[in-house]
Amino acid sequence: MDTENNTDPGCYTEHGVTGYGVAAKLSRQEAMDSAFVQAMAKEMMMFIAEKCMHSGAKCIGHIKCHIRTEGGTIKADTIGVGHGTYSTGKLDHAVKDLYIAINSIIQGIKEDAVQSATLDGLHEVAEGRGVAVVKEKEHSYFDEFDFVASKQEYIKQLEKQLSEDE
Amino acid sequence: MKITQIAGFLGCGKTTFLLKLSQVLASDNERKIALVVNEIGEIPVDGKIMEESGMQVKDIGGGCICCEVASTFAKTLTQLYKSYKPDHVLVEPTGVAVPHQVKLAARMGGRDAKISLGPAIVLFDATRPAELLDMDMLGQLVTTQLKDADIIAISKVDAVEEGAIGDSAERIRKYNSKADIVNLSSFKDLGIDVLAEHIIDWKE
Repeated sequence: MDTENNTDPGCYTEHGVTGYGVAAKLSRQEAMDSAFVQAMAKEMMMFIAEKCMHSGAKCIGHIKCHIRTEGGTIKADTIGVGHGTYSTGKLDHAVKDLYIAINSIIQGIKEDAVQSATLDGLHEVAEGRGVAVVKEKEHSYFDEFDFVASKQEYIKQLEKQLSEDE
Repeated sequence: MKITQIAGFLGCGKTTFLLKLSQVLASDNERKIALVVNEIGEIPVDGKIMEESGMQVKDIGGGCICCEVASTFAKTLTQLYKSYKPDHVLVEPTGVAVPHQVKLAARMGGRDAKISLGPAIVLFDATRPAELLDMDMLGQLVTTQLKDADIIAISKVDAVEEGAIGDSAERIRKYNSKADIVNLSSFKDLGIDVLAEHIIDWKE
């Protein structure tokens, strides 16, 4: 990806919008099926939205997550506490490991507050359901990801990205 | 290579619509379609969702293509023209991008590629008109997006009553009296064919 930037402030910063993204590997000894993963993802989205609003946010732009596993992909998102959560995708079999990327775009609070809400949502919801956050990394993970790769190969790619800079 | 942007505030349904629209445009195998997606959340979640659909997708991260990374956007268009030669490029800017600035950035790509500009289609979320337009800071941004639109799609019409759609249309008309207004439901496949025809027939 071309990452050339100039130094002009973004249109969104002029409107008090901040974004934060994080990727993580989650694991549980007992395999997780579609219903479990979807419910966890939706709970995370709502947790983050509520925490941002409690922190003084004026508006939830969107909070989205994308979960890759060897059994398939699940996505979840919300555009606000009052709008509920929405989820699509399914797993064709239960899995013990999953890779999640979360994006939170919020108006009215600073990035560190968005970061705090996002990370709290990731950890508290996952750990509350007996799922361990094994590795996490900000602003990475999907950038060089090849979705055409085999399932074994994609896990290698994800593991490599999450291990960088350790 | 015709460049069409699908703009609109965060959460208005741009990604879902873009996936459906690209399938309609590509359905008769007569047109090559490429997608350019820009996100400010650092991790390009939407781009990966689109990539899984089998489309040619370019992610642009690190800022907004209407301002911070406009030159990257222009270069991406040039690269697409040279390497893939699509008939249509559908661009999803960030939900806080300004459509006329995206057009300016796209024109920069025209220096080294033969491009034309399609319509700026701006989605307006029927489920939260007051929330969008009455916000003190973001309200100005949303109204700017509406003013810049060539076509306005009232999105998620399946999720509201008929009266609410009319209310959204009335609010929209205060800011843009010229744009065509189309009712859109990506889940119910409503309005997608009409918007695809607009894009195909659009002349600068």
